[in-house]
Amino acid sequence: MSRILKRSLLPAGALTIFVALWQFAAHYYPPEQFPAPSNVLAALRELSESGVLWANVGISLARFAVAYLLAVLLAIPLGLFLGRFIRCHRAIDPLIQVLRPISPIAWFPLAVLWFGIGNAPAVFIILLAAFYPVLLTTIAAVRAVPAVYLKVSANFGAGSRMTFLRVIVPAAFPGIMVGLHIAVGTAWIHLVAGEMLGAQSGLGFMIVDARNFLRTDQVMAGMLLVGLLGLAIYKGMKLVEKSIGRRWGVA
Amino acid sequence: MSTGRRTKILLDGVEKRFTSARGEEQIALDTVNLEIAAGEFVCLVGPSGCGKTTLINVMAGFERPGSGTVTIGGREVTAPDPDHIMIFQDYALYPWRTVLGNVLFGLQARGVPAYEARGKALAALELVGLSAALDKHPHELSGGMKQRVSIARALAVEPSVLFMDEPFAALDAFTRLHLQDELLRIWQEKRPTVVFVTHDLDEAVALGERVVLMAPHPGRIQRILEVKLPHPRERTDPDFAAFRKELFKEFHLVHKEAAEAAEYTI
Repeated sequence: MSRILKRSLLPAGALTIFVALWQFAAHYYPPEQFPAPSNVLAALRELSESGVLWANVGISLARFAVAYLLAVLLAIPLGLFLGRFIRCHRAIDPLIQVLRPISPIAWFPLAVLWFGIGNAPAVFIILLAAFYPVLLTTIAAVRAVPAVYLKVSANFGAGSRMTFLRVIVPAAFPGIMVGLHIAVGTAWIHLVAGEMLGAQSGLGFMIVDARNFLRTDQVMAGMLLVGLLGLAIYKGMKLVEKSIGRRWGVA
Repeated sequence: MSTGRRTKILLDGVEKRFTSARGEEQIALDTVNLEIAAGEFVCLVGPSGCGKTTLINVMAGFERPGSGTVTIGGREVTAPDPDHIMIFQDYALYPWRTVLGNVLFGLQARGVPAYEARGKALAALELVGLSAALDKHPHELSGGMKQRVSIARALAVEPSVLFMDEPFAALDAFTRLHLQDELLRIWQEKRPTVVFVTHDLDEAVALGERVVLMAPHPGRIQRILEVKLPHPRERTDPDFAAFRKELFKEFHLVHKEAAEAAEYTI
């Protein structure tokens, strides 16, 4: 009990001080320029009561889920394949290395040109943001499977199908999990960016829309919500990772 | 080789060369000839660089010899075979599988029906005294227990040959002695042919019907010592001490030569 208290007391204290300082500082500026925490809370309540907030949260989460799942479904099989077949990886690697540093945001003009305004460009940008971390960690995880695991498999006469599905995939899984984890973070960051640019709904759109009406309090409310939801998703991911890690004997 | 026993493993002029990073060719094994009888327990000992691990890898089919042949049971070895199972120093268990799951792996690879596989796996685990740990994961086990699982995994597929590559080297002295006795008991019960690589001379004298002493630069067989003592061997016995002394004497000779050779190359 006292340990929990100690562990939560320090961050809670720091947070309180931060909010107090913010409130104090905001006192010196007009709320359109720098809203106080109390303004932001009021804006949150207003958005929540009008239902705008939850509609946009729902849309954002749905976009995020679809794009993330698509990215994972594309990146894991491709990563497993490229990790297994070193020659193919060698052939494709330069292409990956050139495409990867291009910010998903830079794809935005093309995405709109190709998919029009709406869900698709935002989903496309989130997908790109999640794709590379999963792909690269999957490749690395497959290549890091200890050679002795494959020796054992070969020794017992396991076929290539069994070796792949029941040795390489589970052996690579903890490594792939790390990629899934990183991808959640990058994808969530790009969700807001994607929605700010092209979408007519979602948390990113809500922020832009509030900016257009100079509702800085609502802008900050949107930002705060993005942060809190991101934290919740990250924590949930961590729990899943932990339970899988325990099962795999790595945690 | 003891008389009257069938030849199980035949090494005929086995040679293996490696090219080092600097492009120098090194002879890991230089024309090794060896005959091992069915059901025999042979230990390979020698200082590092003598090629004992290379030799066991070639015998198990993980590496191909540069020239010469390895024949097991009359068939040339060209690849790993479920009838000749290798046991590794680091156990090589699958961490995501339970103890039972690990032992089942070889049977699943063979396509043994599930309930039959379970019976065989349980019997193998009983043999190594791990019936109480079926549902544990490898990370919950001590090193000695992990190696028992790996032995059970091998025994479950009833191989005729066990290759053991320094299987007890990472264990503490007590566990090592205990597992040596266990291994002997299992060997006497199941009578597989055992090829056991170790760098521990005492272990070699305690276990092997024959001890093959290898020498480095180039890797080769220096001497084969027949340990004519019944199992289980009393380590404090004067006869045991005599064999031990003989092996140590020979080993020192090998070691001195190796050290001198190393000095010349510097």
